Amino acid sequence: MSKQLSSAIKGKQRISFKTIAPFLIIGQNRSSRIFSYTGLAIGVLLLLCSIQMFININQLLKEKNPRKNGFDFISVTKTITNQNMGSDNRFTASDIKEIQSQSFIKDAAPLNSNQFRAKASAGTIIPFSTDLFLESVKNNFIDTVPPSFNWQPGQTDVPIIFSADFLEMYNIFAPAQGLPQLSESSVGSVSIVLECYGPGGVQNFRGTIVALSDRINSVLVPENFLLWANNKFGNSSNAPAARVYLKTTDANDPALLKFLEQKNYHVNKDKTKFGRVKQLLQAVVSGLGVFAILVILLAMMLFSFYLQLMIARSKDNLKLLLTLGYSPAGLSKTVAKKWIPVYTIIILLSLFFTALLQYLFQHFVLSGREVLSAYLHFSIYLLAASLLLLCVIINYKLIKKLLYRL
Amino acid sequence: MNIHLENVIPEFLESEKIESSDIWNKNILVNKGERIQIVAPSGRGKTSFIHFIYGLRNDYKGNILLNNQNIGLFDAEEFAITRSNSCSIIFQDLRLFPDHTVFENINIKRLLNPFHGEERIKEMASRLGIENKLDRLAKTCSYGEQQRVAIIRALQQPFDFLLMDEPFSNLDESNRRIAMELIDEEVSKRNAAILLADLKILEFFKADRIIQL
Repeated sequence: MSKQLSSAIKGKQRISFKTIAPFLIIGQNRSSRIFSYTGLAIGVLLLLCSIQMFININQLLKEKNPRKNGFDFISVTKTITNQNMGSDNRFTASDIKEIQSQSFIKDAAPLNSNQFRAKASAGTIIPFSTDLFLESVKNNFIDTVPPSFNWQPGQTDVPIIFSADFLEMYNIFAPAQGLPQLSESSVGSVSIVLECYGPGGVQNFRGTIVALSDRINSVLVPENFLLWANNKFGNSSNAPAARVYLKTTDANDPALLKFLEQKNYHVNKDKTKFGRVKQLLQAVVSGLGVFAILVILLAMMLFSFYLQLMIARSKDNLKLLLTLGYSPAGLSKTVAKKWIPVYTIIILLSLFFTALLQYLFQHFVLSGREVLSAYLHFSIYLLAASLLLLCVIINYKLIKKLLYRL
Repeated sequence: MNIHLENVIPEFLESEKIESSDIWNKNILVNKGERIQIVAPSGRGKTSFIHFIYGLRNDYKGNILLNNQNIGLFDAEEFAITRSNSCSIIFQDLRLFPDHTVFENINIKRLLNPFHGEERIKEMASRLGIENKLDRLAKTCSYGEQQRVAIIRALQQPFDFLLMDEPFSNLDESNRRIAMELIDEEVSKRNAAILLADLKILEFFKADRIIQL
């Protein structure tokens, strides 16, 4: 291509739509045009709403989700029946090995318990004292592990991870016992005197609740502390565990449930239910999103049929325009530009209605609570802008393709 | 600026017609500013020759070079640029928009790459005697009138080469001369070349070269 020609191409023809409009037969087939616009508006509205809802669900259920990195954590015990009541119902090393070898179980860890007696009192501030059980489990099984959750031999401070359910229970009976109720944030400031005693002696420790766990109903201490204390006070180190924690991709996996039933293991699935609800909601909303994309595709297809029809009807005129020297790219750009305002209005309207729905949802369904923003997530605006760009580009490419075919 | 034909042979033409031709399978160079008349009876490929150069057909062997660029390798965009900048044409079959007015037919070409203002359309139309037809639909004009519309349309843009395929076939002698005068004026403004294909020699067209097709 000559330099002159290539620079002329770079300059490109600037054609106004007004110039070529009389040569296009566009007035026909209004209904198919309106149908495709409506379809596009509904599709975009559905897509924006479903993505905003997905974000909402994530935000609303964020703190209550016991799943960690896509895994369910469940606790199993041996089912206690009238027949086996008297015998040892703890998990032996071979039981645990068998559990770990199952393909649907990613990992399993026993919950070791104290082999000595432990007593907790809250000192003079809260006149309260109780016998206590302590347990420990591998850190990666705990949902909330702060950096302070560790213990060195010789240390008199013992960090404790406390079940959020236990705190709730405490708060229920505390007033009746004349004890103060405690909030989640203030529980860490209560200093607990932890008295450990057994054949090996007696020692007091200062216990601090460093975190609350939604997942594990227990009083957890660092593994090495329990090992040391069992040795020191209880003179035993390898006591079998009564509870085992399982890590699995799906707590509702039929194979898992069948195995547990066969082994006569009891599972507490309460903790996984919330995760299930979230998963289900997200699946529904994702389904809605996919449906929305389908609606958008259908609308775009309908519009493309309309464009094809328009170009077929104006074929003779367009052919002659090209013969006279109008460029296919210039013509496509000019024709495609004509629909930018239409697309902009459609997408802005959908965005407006999505924002309105979000506001109404926050205002009325959630009664204006600040758990959720009343405004759209920035990604929704980004998505709307990308959709607009996509529509315009697809339109341009389609017209260009049709013109080149003439 | 030149057009160079290198051994161009239409794929559909009989060999005896090719052998007897001064254009087919020959080397022809047309420079800017030249006036060439191509003469041939029907069926020798006059219209094909014009369409080959304008890029409407490519069923030929050999090369056609426009400023040393092989137009056989041009894409639609490059042809669009050539047609709006350097090659204008008067088709034998006129190729007007039948459902548009005479004015619209001329102006659509002017708007693409204007060489004149809009008022010049009216001046040209009145010189060729069709000023009162400007608002009429092209299809309602006589063939002679339509031919004058096609002539005026071709003169609305800048060009280096004006291709004409039997441009006066439906005009009487006096209208032919008036049209030729207007064309001559416009061509000299651009210092362009004329390639005029017709059945016989037109004595009112002062050709630098007459080539038998």
